Amino acid sequence: MSDKIVSIAEGVEGLFIENNRFNTTSISYNFYLPMREETAALNALLPFVLTSCGKDYPDFSALTLKLYKLYGATIDASVEKYGDCQLLSMRISCINDRFTFDSDSLVKSASDMLLGLIFEPNVENGAFLEDDLQREKRKAIEHIKGEIAEKRIYAKNRIIGEMFKGEAYGIPKCGTVEQVEAITGETLYAAWQNMLKKAFVRVQVIGEALPHKFFEGVAERFEGIERSGITDCRLCKPTAPANKVNTVFEKMDVKQGKLVMGFSSEMYGDDDISLPLMVMCDIFGGAPYSRLFTNVREKMSLCYYCAASAIRYKGLLLVDSGVEWQNADKAANEILNQLEIMQKGEFSDFEFESSIKSISDTLTGYYDSQSGIDMWYALKVHNNELYSPEDILQKIKAITREDVIYAAKGVKLHTIYKLLPKEGPIC
Amino acid sequence: MLKQVFESDFGESYVKCEHESGLQIYILEKPLYNSAYALFGTRYGSIDNVFSVNGEKTQVPEGIAHFLEHKLFESEDGDAFTRYAATGAYANAFTSFDKTCYLFKCSTRFYDNLEILLDFVQSPYFTAATVQKEQGIIGQEIRMYDDSPGWRVMFNMLLAMYKNHPVRIDIAGTTESIAEIDDKLLYKCYETFYNPQNMFLCIAGNVDTDKVLKMVDEAIKPKEKVELCRIMPEEPDEVVKPYVQQALEVVIPLFCFGYKEKTEKPLSLKKRICTSVLLDMIIGDASPLYKKLVNEGLINDEFSFEYFNGPGYASVIFEGESQNPQRVADEIKAEVARLKEEGLNKKLFNAVRSNFYGNAIRNYNSIESIAMDLVDCAMSGHDLFDEIKYLKAITVEDVFKRLTVLDNDKTVLSVIVPKEK
Repeated sequence: MSDKIVSIAEGVEGLFIENNRFNTTSISYNFYLPMREETAALNALLPFVLTSCGKDYPDFSALTLKLYKLYGATIDASVEKYGDCQLLSMRISCINDRFTFDSDSLVKSASDMLLGLIFEPNVENGAFLEDDLQREKRKAIEHIKGEIAEKRIYAKNRIIGEMFKGEAYGIPKCGTVEQVEAITGETLYAAWQNMLKKAFVRVQVIGEALPHKFFEGVAERFEGIERSGITDCRLCKPTAPANKVNTVFEKMDVKQGKLVMGFSSEMYGDDDISLPLMVMCDIFGGAPYSRLFTNVREKMSLCYYCAASAIRYKGLLLVDSGVEWQNADKAANEILNQLEIMQKGEFSDFEFESSIKSISDTLTGYYDSQSGIDMWYALKVHNNELYSPEDILQKIKAITREDVIYAAKGVKLHTIYKLLPKEGPIC
Repeated sequence: MLKQVFESDFGESYVKCEHESGLQIYILEKPLYNSAYALFGTRYGSIDNVFSVNGEKTQVPEGIAHFLEHKLFESEDGDAFTRYAATGAYANAFTSFDKTCYLFKCSTRFYDNLEILLDFVQSPYFTAATVQKEQGIIGQEIRMYDDSPGWRVMFNMLLAMYKNHPVRIDIAGTTESIAEIDDKLLYKCYETFYNPQNMFLCIAGNVDTDKVLKMVDEAIKPKEKVELCRIMPEEPDEVVKPYVQQALEVVIPLFCFGYKEKTEKPLSLKKRICTSVLLDMIIGDASPLYKKLVNEGLINDEFSFEYFNGPGYASVIFEGESQNPQRVADEIKAEVARLKEEGLNKKLFNAVRSNFYGNAIRNYNSIESIAMDLVDCAMSGHDLFDEIKYLKAITVEDVFKRLTVLDNDKTVLSVIVPKEK
């Protein structure tokens, strides 16, 4: 473990990243819990309820007014899949004290505010209050129902559901409408208690200075909580190769079709193992110099986008494109052809070097984004070491063409998903 | 080169220069950062379809500014993306209603990237074959937006709000209009609008201003001055129709509700800031109306609002998802009427102003945001630090004056409803 990590309580880590280039300080609380069918919706609702009101702020308007007075401090909540875990994050960010006219303790006030919201919610008799619950449930249900509006995201979620049926990774990150509807004040309270007792927790501060006795304050909150059965945030079953390629069609009243191809990768796992897959994916379909962009888009003029993305930890690679349904098979064949070229090592030195340069440039740029650094470390808890962007950059520079070819050879087609217009072919 | 230095009282400073070619240059140095972000742009967007050069009037197909943006990346011996690939920079471009910008972001080899940017934007290469290839790609881009409810709800509203102003037309044009584009038309537009007199270069990040200026001086090719006149049609004060609806594959209806504002001259920055503060007071997260609409289940976290304005158009737009868009629109109208009657809450004004100040300071964290704000300076002529200056100076009375632009008789409600199964 890095000497930068502070142990706050059992399974609770603190991390302060000093960075004096920003005008703001950012504090995030990241809770990692296993992704399970029965708890996905409950856990996903928690950060939104917790950051909308609290003991000191009876409703969200009072809370927002306080944030406005704290010079536009911002609070936000998010839910992400992280391997086979669910990552619940709550963050506050505020301008540094030196920019205020009347306060020398703005950062401290903001930090106390978020801590209070997480540990002292609006609860009575072992249940969240009905008004708060119904409001956030309604928003969560509308969010889930609204996902169909953006077809590119919808199509990618659909293929993941198909590829990982019955597995933790196939569960929608916010649960289903029915699961949200079933939540009560009591079940949410139990989920909150479970989060405080069992989640692996990473508290991160990025800014000029750590607020006075910050980690001690967090430790005090955890003192009365019995921490046991802590989540192993390395939970992650690799993507199993398909015995037979599965093809899934769906019809909708749309003008443009969507094609998504899901692949399993034999290379998977943490940053000590899977970085060549990052480079492979980038050469294959990551940037304008990539095989997919230059061939499927530029040479064949089949689409506006055709891009590859890899979830290395899971050993999953996706290619997605927006195409006319008549061209979907042509595009799919060319995507597979380009994969074969990657596997045979027939990509050029220029493409390989461009990719290393592009990834290196992006990694160096991470230090210029506060939210980027926060996200970076929150998504790196599975590594044995606390790798910085600079550490990964050094590893990237050591990757060879052979490493990339090896990564490509392990990539196997698993599932094809096609979203087709109604006037398209009969499936 | 005429050079001015602007200093703020919160530790930032920037340089503004005018090159002898007419190119305007804005640079804000961030020595503690690893990266830099540069935009090379022209005051040429999707609304510039009718214009005259030295008195000669021309009308071009809709979507040509965006088409030109795509095509400029290509040259006789390869494309700009390939050149950037050799440096590792992230490169892109965008076309909006009133401008086209070419940009890159990098954390190494900034000057090599700047050389590429300045070179390819000044080196057009269009042929019949490459134009035809692009028609396929952009055709798919247009189809993608046709299926995007968020995009359609906005453009349907603009179509119902503006009778003649070209802001009503999709930035990429239509598959029919782009079919009319050929290499000759592209050259015509390029020669008209890609003149340094009409262009700007905005940079923020870890760069050396003097070195940039020296490079620019060597790379910019001065062109003969032309009398360029953008011809905008007469636009009535009234909206075309108050309600418009389209069925798409959605589950929850999407809405876009807008107020049309009469505008002739470009709006001052102060007026724009006052309007933004006003909107936050009417329906921002801390307002009584927002609380009511959320508690009654009428809006969710997708709700947002903006002051949308540019040459010859201005409107206040509220958008989001709702099971009852008409109720949301009616509630906004009722609140506007109430505030006109009862006045604005001073305490809320102070809180909103504090929020805006914090956000403005936060903005200086991001080199992308700074560079985009410098583009805004180049487009409208104000000083970058004016925003914070005005935020400190404006009064609740200044904000109240902007309430008068919200006319409940000049509104449009655009709704995307679910398809009937």
